[in-house]
Amino acid sequence: MSTLVSTRPSVAVRPGKRYRLRRRVGDALTYLGLAAALVFFLGPFFWIVTTSLKGNNDFFAFPPVWIPSEPSLAHYEGLFTRASGLRYFMNSLTISSMSMVSALVVSLPTAYAIARWRFGGGFLGTFLLVLRMLPAIALIIPVYLMYKQLGLTNSYFGLVMIYTVVYIPFAVWLLVGFLRDFPVEIEEAAMIDGCSRVGALVRVVVPIIAPGMAVVALFAFIATWNEFLFAVVLTGIETKTMMVLVTTYTSGGTDMFYGEASASVVLGVLPAFVVAFMLQRYLVKGLALGGTKG
Amino acid sequence: MRISAIALKRRQWEPFAFATPALVLIAIVIVFPLAYSFYLSFQDFDLSVGPEHSFVGFRNYTEALFRDHRFVDSVWNTVVLIVPSLIGELLLGLGIALLLSRVVHGRPIITALLAIPAMVSPVMAAMAWRMMFGVKYGAINNMGRQLGLLDVYFDWFSSPVMSIVAVVLVEVWQNTPFMMLVLLAGLQSIPQELYESARVDGASPWQSFWHVTLPLLKFTMVVGVMIRMIDLTKLFGLIFVLTFGGPGGATETVAFNTYLVGFKDFRMSYAAALSYVIVLGVLILTLVFQAVQRRREARAA
Repeated sequence: MSTLVSTRPSVAVRPGKRYRLRRRVGDALTYLGLAAALVFFLGPFFWIVTTSLKGNNDFFAFPPVWIPSEPSLAHYEGLFTRASGLRYFMNSLTISSMSMVSALVVSLPTAYAIARWRFGGGFLGTFLLVLRMLPAIALIIPVYLMYKQLGLTNSYFGLVMIYTVVYIPFAVWLLVGFLRDFPVEIEEAAMIDGCSRVGALVRVVVPIIAPGMAVVALFAFIATWNEFLFAVVLTGIETKTMMVLVTTYTSGGTDMFYGEASASVVLGVLPAFVVAFMLQRYLVKGLALGGTKG
Repeated sequence: MRISAIALKRRQWEPFAFATPALVLIAIVIVFPLAYSFYLSFQDFDLSVGPEHSFVGFRNYTEALFRDHRFVDSVWNTVVLIVPSLIGELLLGLGIALLLSRVVHGRPIITALLAIPAMVSPVMAAMAWRMMFGVKYGAINNMGRQLGLLDVYFDWFSSPVMSIVAVVLVEVWQNTPFMMLVLLAGLQSIPQELYESARVDGASPWQSFWHVTLPLLKFTMVVGVMIRMIDLTKLFGLIFVLTFGGPGGATETVAFNTYLVGFKDFRMSYAAALSYVIVLGVLILTLVFQAVQRRREARAA
C-alpha cells in the first residue's frame, strides 16, 4: 500500500504516460533512499563481521581489503581460549536466561491481578510507569552498598535479582494487555469444571497466551543481555558478562586488539539480530516501552 | 468492562497473594535502596576515607548546584549531546518512515533490517563505532584515504568538537530506527481518504505532506521525541566505551559523571545526592512534557 501515490485511478489525475513515468521515477528514488539507509544502518555490522574473519595480511593491507580473501575463525578461537570469552559468553547466557524466566514468573501473577481484579486501581499502573522512568544511576549506588554488605557482588544471584525487578514494570505492562484480550469465559468454564484459580491460570490461560509471553520473554532476554551499568559495577572476574568483556578492549588506546574485539562484538550483537526478526510485529510496542533497556 | 460472576466471588486475599512476590521484590530492591540513598545524600559517607559518616544537611546538594563546576558542566554537556541527537533522529526517522510508507514490496523485511541498531546494546554499538573511528585500521579513515578524501590518519577523539560529533553520530545511528518505527506506525494510522480528497482539491504532494501528514503526525512526533529525551538523560554505556567522557570531560554526561564520583572517587553520599538531582530533573522534564501534551489535546478538542 502506498500512501502518497495511489494505484487506484482518481478524479484529478488521469493515469497518463507522464504520470506513470513520474511514479516510476518516484519508486526508483524511494528504493534508492532505502538502500542508502540500509548501507548506513547495517554497514558497521558488515565491517565488524568481516574484520573478525580477516587474517593479518588482509587486516594490515593498504588499500584496505573490505572482504576477507581467506576468512578464518582464528580470532574467535583466540577469544574463546586466550581471553576466556567462552566463559563470559556463558555468563551472559546464564544470567539473561535466569532473569528472563524469573521476571516472567514474578510478573505473570501480578499482571493477572491487575487485569482480572483491577488490583491497585490506577495507582499500581502509574507506580510501575514511574519505576520504568527511574534512571538506573539512582539505584546503582545504594544497591552496590547493599550488595557489598550482603556479599552479593560478583554473584549470579545478585545480578539476576536486580534484573528481574528492574524488568517487572515492562513485563507486567505487556502481560496485562495480553491477559485483557483473553476471554474470561474460557477461564470461568475451567473453574466451573472444578479447576482452581491457579490451575485455570496455569493449565488454560498460560498455554493460550504463550505467544504473548514469548514476546515478553525475548524482550527480557535482550534487555538483560544488553544491560551494562549494573553489570560493570556488580560483577567480578568470574561473573563478567559480554558487555563488560568488550569494554576491556578499549584500554589498548587507539590501536586496540581488533581481531578479538570485533569477534566479541559479533557475539554480543548476535541475540539482537535473532530477536529483531522474531519480534518484527512487536518491535514498536516493545521499543516504545523500553523493552530493550534494563 | 464485564465483571464476571466468578471474579465477584473471589476471595479477598487472592489479588494480594498474586501480586505479593513482585511487590515484595520491588520493595527490597528498589524502594528500600532509594530510601537508603536519600538518607545517604544527607550524610558525608566517603568510602575512600572510611565507613564512618554523619549528618551534613543539604551540603551535598548545595555543592552540586553551586560549587561543583564539573557537575554543572556535565549538565551542559548532556544538553549539547541531546539536542542535535533528537533533531537528527527526528528528521532522519521521518524521512525513512515516509520512504517506507511508499514501499509496496518487502516492507516488513526492510523494516526489520533497519530496526536492528535499536536492538543492540549501546556498549556494542559504541565498540563497533570506536573501531570504525580507529586511527590506523578504522573503516572511516581507511575509506577516506582510499577515496582520497583524507590525506592523514585522523584521530577523531583528540578534539572535543569531533568527539561530540562522533557521540551524536553513534546515538543517531542507534536510535533513529526507534523513531522510524514510531513514525511509521503513526503514518499508517492516517486515513487514506484524506490524501485522496487533498488530491481531488488539487493539492501537490508537497502540499498534502505539509497540510495533511505533518499536522496529523505532530502528536506521534512529540511522544517519540519525549521518550528519546528521557532515555538520553541516562546516556552512559555509549560514553563509557566511545570516549570515556573525554577529551578533557567534553562528553561527560550527568550519568557518567555520577558514576565516576561514586565508583572512582568513592564519594557515595555525594553520588547519591547527584543521582537525586538527576531524578528530579527527569521528573520535571516528564511533567513539563505531559503538561504540553495535555494543553495540545485540550486545544484540539
